[in-house]
Amino acid sequence: MAAEEWAQELARHLGDRMISLTPFARTLGRVKFRPEAAREIFRAVHDDLGFDHLSMVGGIDWVDRREVIYTLWSDRRVAYLFLSADLVGEAPHIETASAVWPGANWHERETWELVGIQFDHHPDLRHLLMPDGYAFNPLLRSFKLHEPEELEVKTRHV
Amino acid sequence: MSAAPENLPRPLTPGMPPPVLPMADAAPAIPFLEIEALRAQQFIPAAKEALGAMIAEQGRDRLTRPVFNWAGRNSLFPLHWGLACCAIEFAAAFGARWDAERFGVVPRSSPRQCDLMIVNGTVTWKVAHKLVTLYEQMPEPKWVIAMGNCATGGGPFRTAYSVVPGVDKLVPVDLYIAGCPPRPEAMLDGILKLEQLIRERKE
Ligand code: SF4
Repeated sequence: MAAEEWAQELARHLGDRMISLTPFARTLGRVKFRPEAAREIFRAVHDDLGFDHLSMVGGIDWVDRREVIYTLWSDRRVAYLFLSADLVGEAPHIETASAVWPGANWHERETWELVGIQFDHHPDLRHLLMPDGYAFNPLLRSFKLHEPEELEVKTRHV
Repeated sequence: MSAAPENLPRPLTPGMPPPVLPMADAAPAIPFLEIEALRAQQFIPAAKEALGAMIAEQGRDRLTRPVFNWAGRNSLFPLHWGLACCAIEFAAAFGARWDAERFGVVPRSSPRQCDLMIVNGTVTWKVAHKLVTLYEQMPEPKWVIAMGNCATGGGPFRTAYSVVPGVDKLVPVDLYIAGCPPRPEAMLDGILKLEQLIRERKE
């Protein structure tokens, strides 16, 4: 499929909820979208564009903002697609993808506890890799390596 | 059902006189057995009296402790579990080549049957309270071996956000085995050292 055709198809389905499309090697590109429109974007990408498998949800801390990334696979197109959204502010949050792809459930729990991104309407947002009550988001850049004793104090009630 | 034939011995019932063996009348008596029975009758009260006097004199623990220590060191049952890469060496030690069972060490799958916990791997904060629960489920007396650098002090992950820096923060540890991972020989050496510790145990 020619690149322009694909860009037009994306623009037709996503409209102005899409901010940009950046080419990415061996995929159909990186789509950056507005986080307010996450629910419509997920529906459109799943139902209209045929990306029926969510491989991964992840998050990146860029210090001034946090980025949440979705890796999608389509059996029909035999191709990957990246979705990403920039979240600004102290308490970044975005709509959950687990209503569209149920497999997002645990990925979002992991992203929530490690990068500190809140997923609205998530069915079961609990700690996944850390014990309940863990007081840190360890993959944030503001997280310093702790002396073991310090960590112990913070997690003693576990 | 017909009545039991009379020449069969009655079953032993508390409060009833012991049965008379039919052959005691018919066959000639066996002097050896009779002598042994007489001896036992005299020996048991005498032994009871002597043991009672020794216990009164030296205290129960002085007498029973060596027996318990001997039994404990000869049948250490470790908990059969694996936390990380050290568990591979733990498994190898019970395989054909190193065969730890010749020391009476048999891994058991239930903490209720164990008296030894070998912490073989990285302990994360997520698994910490499960480890403590398992430890508390083990009956007394019980021992803990920290196997490998991770269980000893956090190992290569000491400053990581998710790793307990040493299992001695959670449970009392009797013996540390160094290595990443320790070879099965080192593990067997540790078990033998622990047996030595148990043999010398006083309280
Ligand atoms: S001490 Fe080494 S081999 Fe053992 S669990 Fe830790 S990293 Fe793995």
